[in-house]
Amino acid sequence: MLAVALSTAGCARDGDGATVRSVTDTFFAAVAAGDGARACEQLSPDTRAALESQEKAACRDAVTELKIDRGAAVHANVYILNAVVELSNGDAVFLDQGEQGWRIDAVGCTPSAKPVDRPFECELED
Amino acid sequence: MKALRNHGLALFFLAIFLAALVGQAFTGQDAFNHAQLAHGGDPISVGRYVTSSEYWVDVLENWQSEYLQFTLYIFATVWLVQKGSPESKALDQTGTESDADQKIGDHADERSPKWARVGGLRTRVYSNSLLIVMSAIWVASWLGQSVTGRIAYNADQLDHRLAAVSWARYLTTSDFWNRTLQNWQSEFLAVGSMAVLAIYLRQRGSPESKPVGAPHEATGIEG
Repeated sequence: MLAVALSTAGCARDGDGATVRSVTDTFFAAVAAGDGARACEQLSPDTRAALESQEKAACRDAVTELKIDRGAAVHANVYILNAVVELSNGDAVFLDQGEQGWRIDAVGCTPSAKPVDRPFECELED
Repeated sequence: MKALRNHGLALFFLAIFLAALVGQAFTGQDAFNHAQLAHGGDPISVGRYVTSSEYWVDVLENWQSEYLQFTLYIFATVWLVQKGSPESKALDQTGTESDADQKIGDHADERSPKWARVGGLRTRVYSNSLLIVMSAIWVASWLGQSVTGRIAYNADQLDHRLAAVSWARYLTTSDFWNRTLQNWQSEFLAVGSMAVLAIYLRQRGSPESKPVGAPHEATGIEG
């Protein structure tokens, strides 16, 4: 029973790591292409709402105006319903899994001096 | 029916163990989903919950402490005695006792287990097999707690935009040791108080108690 527990609970689900990287890459590609609607599809509902409230504009218009350094997803870690994708430029993207699948919760995040104890500073988060 | 009666103790505890494990799954899922909704997240199914580290860290932190408790009790009662307790052996029998007392090697009889009769390494291993297996389950459960606990801890870290930690780093966190020690203290209290209370209190018919009329100072007698 213990072996079953560790095999099911100790690892990320198959494909989750690839999925969160894909969502991240899709978001940055859509922003770069000016496809605000597709970029917003990669954001969680709360993050979309936060962006619209912050910028006083529709998500698809506001998201392409964000000042976020684009980086390629180089590494992903998944923990239950939360994931973080590390980018080639040193930034990070945080995602969570809801009924719509994996969506971006926070983007443009730079680590603090003590990232284990002090939160990342994010350009956009819910 | 006779088989049921002869194995009643094991079957009874197996049944209530499984019932409690299922109950923990549903109540744990409900608590998890409550926290999810409170943080703007979506609820998850019970199937998803019972295959997550959130469930297994709570299960394993209790398993490891229970097996540690019995491992320590088995080991400590070889060497330590408690005057008046039915949990203790006689005050002058501390230690691993003689081969004759333990019916091993030349002192084994025809009904003794084979590994008690053959001598050598196999008898040495068999002489400590209960402690070896209980210790192994404890270590495996504690390791499992650390692996699943780290995953649950890191999920919470990311939820708060904090960095995830390695397994080695997790072993130094207060989360790991708080989960561990809150279980250890209760096990140590329960087993220690049982050894002492059984000096003065009785339960008629239970082998965990002395006979009701046995004197308080009688040691190592079971009812």
